[in-house]
Amino acid sequence: MAVGSVRVGATPSRAGLRVRELLDRERFLGPAFVTPALLLLLVLVAYPFVMALYFAMSNAFIGRPSHFIGTRNFVALWDSDSFRQTFQNAFVFTGSAVGSKLVLGITLALLLNEQLWFKRLIRGAVLLPWVIPTALSTLGWWWMFNSLYSVVNWSGIALGLMDPPGPNWLGQKYYAMTAVIAVNVWRGLPFFAICILAGLVSIPKELYEAAEADGASASARFWNVTLPLLKPVLAIVVLFSTIFTFSDFNIVYVLTNGGPINSTHLFATLTRQVGLESGQIGQGAAISLYLFPVLAIVVWIQLRFVRRQVY
Amino acid sequence: MDRVTRRQFIGRAAAGTAGLAGILATGTPPARGQQREISYLCWNNFAPAMDKKQNEIAQRFTKDTGIKMRIDYVSHMGPQQAKLAAEVQTQAGHDLVELRMHFPWLYEPQLVEVGDVVAELEKAHGKALSSGYEAAHIKGVWRAVPMYHGLFVPTYREDLFKKAGLKIPDTWEDLYTAGKELKKMGNPVGIPIAQNYDSISTAGPVLWSFGGMEVDKDGQTVRINSPATEQMIEWYKKMFRDCMEPEVLSWTDASNNESMQQGKAGWIHNPVSTYIVAKQRKLPTADLINHHRSLGGAHGRHETDVPRAMGIWKFSKNVEPAKEWIRYLLGKPEVYNEWIMSADAFNLPSYEKLQDHPVLRTDPKYAALSAPGVQYHLYGWPAPGTDKVQRITNEFILPNMIAKAVTGTPTKEAIAWAEKEMKRIVSG
Repeated sequence: MAVGSVRVGATPSRAGLRVRELLDRERFLGPAFVTPALLLLLVLVAYPFVMALYFAMSNAFIGRPSHFIGTRNFVALWDSDSFRQTFQNAFVFTGSAVGSKLVLGITLALLLNEQLWFKRLIRGAVLLPWVIPTALSTLGWWWMFNSLYSVVNWSGIALGLMDPPGPNWLGQKYYAMTAVIAVNVWRGLPFFAICILAGLVSIPKELYEAAEADGASASARFWNVTLPLLKPVLAIVVLFSTIFTFSDFNIVYVLTNGGPINSTHLFATLTRQVGLESGQIGQGAAISLYLFPVLAIVVWIQLRFVRRQVY
Repeated sequence: MDRVTRRQFIGRAAAGTAGLAGILATGTPPARGQQREISYLCWNNFAPAMDKKQNEIAQRFTKDTGIKMRIDYVSHMGPQQAKLAAEVQTQAGHDLVELRMHFPWLYEPQLVEVGDVVAELEKAHGKALSSGYEAAHIKGVWRAVPMYHGLFVPTYREDLFKKAGLKIPDTWEDLYTAGKELKKMGNPVGIPIAQNYDSISTAGPVLWSFGGMEVDKDGQTVRINSPATEQMIEWYKKMFRDCMEPEVLSWTDASNNESMQQGKAGWIHNPVSTYIVAKQRKLPTADLINHHRSLGGAHGRHETDVPRAMGIWKFSKNVEPAKEWIRYLLGKPEVYNEWIMSADAFNLPSYEKLQDHPVLRTDPKYAALSAPGVQYHLYGWPAPGTDKVQRITNEFILPNMIAKAVTGTPTKEAIAWAEKEMKRIVSG
């Protein structure tokens, strides 16, 4: 190796120097890196969203010319009994399902955080409902709730918990709503449990030791140490789950198709019925965007809360 | 090998480039390289043998005409409709599409007029059936070619009827008499009252046989609030109470088939697939199932069926080859018959002269499928299949009205609810 030697090559051209100079400037380099991602977002997220907004404010019908009609679709939807029912269903479904997943998720995470035999195997198994394609697993649930072959009723009757023939799970509105919520909870629970478990393992053991030394009971340790430190994780998990649950489609579509008498319809299933099956893309888009302002506010509040917790 | 001089090379390259530029500019390949090809999007038939036979026929078609054929099969409920909508929105996709029920109405502005082909077929096979006409003849123009239809037919347990000495019903009222006995025997009547299309396929004929309708012929005037609807609901209420079980409130399109095949239901209203599947799977119930003539009432004998038609997109660049395929498949009696035979009576021809089809003589239990005097209609008849009438169907207002009434809502209140919902859609 020639120490101190200088490699003499061709002098960089003026254009090359200019590019190198630009790359050294943060004002140029930053946008250059961000642009490809921004383009993807524009094409794959912004464009469809703007199109959906336009459709929602038009009388678009599949394959026919459309006109801008302002907010008429949003107003007209309130006249529809099935839409009003769907609106109510969405809040009952999301509230009950997210609430149940939160409580059960914390419980499951606490259990998984204990020293268990076959801990890894159990943790892996817990994820199964989340891994199986939803449409497929819901089909399994459909068989379990089926009026002809319900294994749930068969077991309940065999154990003396139900009178024959047992509840008509998918044929009566409260039972049907219970059924779709139960399947959503079953499906979404692993997401809650694993995320909360990740939060639990990151809590320093010293805090528990100190609390124990101060004589704090198990429940006091949970309420005063575990829960406050889990808040940022819980906020994020609840935020995501709220959005996913509000926009759920597969479970209701496979299990009840929105019935009986529209009592389990959600925005996504009603959108399909109106926008796709009936060709009314405009009204369909309006249904799917109805909750956008509400969800945007929920996201904003929760993200503010998370920032406060973190910083 | 001859050496190519630099001058020759440049000359040939220039000629090639000019040729390619010409093809790209005109969008037309040279005649020698032109291969006529059509693509066809159709459903995964409930009778899979019919798809297999169609593929065979398509190969022969290519051999006979030189037109290449690509057939894509897609599941009939969700995916097919999504695909059709996407093709229309993007103005790209297949040349030919299979359209069920009132789909030709839904995509009417996008479909090529095919009156010339239908005229040829009607000349050969007789007039198109009423449901085929209602589905594909839109505002005086044929927008699709009726292909075949799958019809609903009363399906019953012959052994149970014989055992209890029950008379084969001829009217919906007769069914109540038989149904009471069937339920006592533990084999109830199975008519779905849920958010599915089979529910409408029974509710429509019952309503029509009592003289009722949802919307009038003009497609604008809602007529659901009528004494006929009240009679129909009262019939459903007593059927639900005395002849059926609450499980029908949660049934899907497949549930009545399953109930009959597993030996529970004593009578159902369904396409002949219940029996065909039982026969194919060698189920013990296959020997016990039979069919009888469609039920009627004071205002006639009606059925909803599932007419299927073939349409050609306006954006297709192969309209004439596509018409050639339709003529080949449906216009040649030997080919059409061969195709229909492969479906084992699940799908029957859509033309009058072919109603007494040889496929109905392949099994004595198909005799009831040749049903003289039965009128076949689209959902929502006598209203035309406009997008508004389709939305009334797709929102399941008719079965939901019945479901409300049989679960405790007073009849008049249930009808008033349906009327309000239908008026909202029609005036929207």
